[in-house]
Amino acid sequence: MSNGAIVVENLVKQYGGGVTAVNDVSFSVPVGTIFGFLGPNGAGKSTTIKILTTLALPSGGRATVGGYDVVSEAAQVRRIAGVALQDIGIDPLMKPLELLTLQAQMFGATTKQAAARANELLELVRLTGAVDRRVGTYSGGMRRRLDLALALVHEPDILFLDEPTTGLDPASRRDVWDEVRRLNRELGMTIFLTTQYLEEADELAETVAIINQGQIAVQGSPAKLKTAVGTESINLAFDDRNLAARALDELSQMGGHVQMDRDMVRLYMNHAAERIPAVINRLRDANLNPISLTLTQPTLDDVFLQVTGQRLRTDAAPQATDQESA
Amino acid sequence: MTTQVSTRPSFITKVPAMPRANLLWQIVLVTRRNLVTIARTPAALLPPLAISIFFLIIYESTLGKAANFIPNLSGNSYLGFILPLSIVSSSLSGAGIAAQNMVRDIESGYFDKLLLTPVSRAALLLGPILAGALILGIQATIVILVAMVMGLESASGIGGLLVVIGLAVLLGTGFAGFTVSAALGSGSAAATQGASFIFFPLTFLTASFVPLELLSGWLETAARFNPITYVLEAMRTVLLTGWDGAVVWQGVLACLLLGGAMYALAVRALHVRTSRK
Repeated sequence: MSNGAIVVENLVKQYGGGVTAVNDVSFSVPVGTIFGFLGPNGAGKSTTIKILTTLALPSGGRATVGGYDVVSEAAQVRRIAGVALQDIGIDPLMKPLELLTLQAQMFGATTKQAAARANELLELVRLTGAVDRRVGTYSGGMRRRLDLALALVHEPDILFLDEPTTGLDPASRRDVWDEVRRLNRELGMTIFLTTQYLEEADELAETVAIINQGQIAVQGSPAKLKTAVGTESINLAFDDRNLAARALDELSQMGGHVQMDRDMVRLYMNHAAERIPAVINRLRDANLNPISLTLTQPTLDDVFLQVTGQRLRTDAAPQATDQESA
Repeated sequence: MTTQVSTRPSFITKVPAMPRANLLWQIVLVTRRNLVTIARTPAALLPPLAISIFFLIIYESTLGKAANFIPNLSGNSYLGFILPLSIVSSSLSGAGIAAQNMVRDIESGYFDKLLLTPVSRAALLLGPILAGALILGIQATIVILVAMVMGLESASGIGGLLVVIGLAVLLGTGFAGFTVSAALGSGSAAATQGASFIFFPLTFLTASFVPLELLSGWLETAARFNPITYVLEAMRTVLLTGWDGAVVWQGVLACLLLGGAMYALAVRALHVRTSRK
């Protein structure tokens, strides 16, 4: 019926005041895969997910979810799509089984079916131990898992997760990742996931699209993207931006791709390790002394840096496995 | 979706095709859920009830004796005259409870989650409104019981008391339509609380403390256009003088007009909130 579980063609979203949140975005998510939609705050991730889950209308272009048009067949989309938004929408006064049962009943389950389903899902997300507690007393990780269970009540074919691990501690993030993988592997569920964390996209997604300022900067499998960035990079830190800028000038003449981020200069090139002496000599001739030098294998972070010219990882991001080594 | 892989493990039972639950059942579900959360916030319930009873006692003890000098009230008890005012104010607080529930759902994001289910929009509106109405029915009953302890005698017996409760519930449903609209429109607890106070002056721009015939000038004009006047009139008549079908129906009609207008307002507010932008 369709070329994918989610097909987005030339999607545009403009808000009043001439703000374009999503600008001519196209991608397609094959059935049964995990798709990572990666970008910084305000890049257009949430707007895209709101359009795909029928909470917002596009200003242009079209999108189908499970073959249904998100504008004209919104009701059908809601039946086959499960949604866990970034802001966890659960009433703190209620208990988990009450929330799950009600949710199932809203989708038309009988009281008996709903109760069975609620218990099943609670087990799936391993919250049976907290069954008698009001949701308001739950930790961030428990709330996420419950929210995930709520999104699964009607057995969606396609699951939308908007920044599912933002604000979680590393252990809870792992839990969510495990759950996402399990849903994909065991249930064949197609999963569309937005994230600010490169590591997350790298871990989970078969295909990644990087969105920046409303436009898709690059898309492909994490491995392919990393290869495309080229290879290793030599990272040089300087005392200040001015020195870094001068170094950028020098190194740009060495063949290879250079990039500057604050007081840091990165030089992407093949066989980077062998070129380190040449780099040092060149800098010394220009009277530039880096305060540190590291060699990095390419990561999605580098892909991001290369396509957008900025680093994605924010201060709020949890500790990621940095592969930098001296 | 021809290539959809479906290898569901045993821990997920396939839910049979879920039909759309019928509207009445949906309303019951949403109302019940609202009652559960109301019961879990007793702090929001008790103060309004205490204030209604407080008003009743204060009005009765400060104005009760003076009331003998009011010509039209001679021979009647001031308690029966002032009780409806106390009941009407508890209707207002019931409406406040409905809106508080709605606004809490909006703030927590739970409302959006419900909107993503196939649940009927009418059920989402009526759930909190009906739950609030039920609560205020209970509150009105308690206020009446207190009044009876204070010596209230209904001129039309138990039936009259039931009419008073019924009118209170109807009126409160109308108020709730308004406060729920404010909740939907603002999405903020503070703004909703503020909007709930708009009806407060209405309980005074009416024959609050003396019969309508004793009012004059602009206050009389205001009272004649105020639906609460007719509700108070109906309650007072059944409590003080006995059955008078015409007056009771006037009160019911006033409630229905107010309720209809406010429900339309709420539907409009929900439409604005849920229109995809």
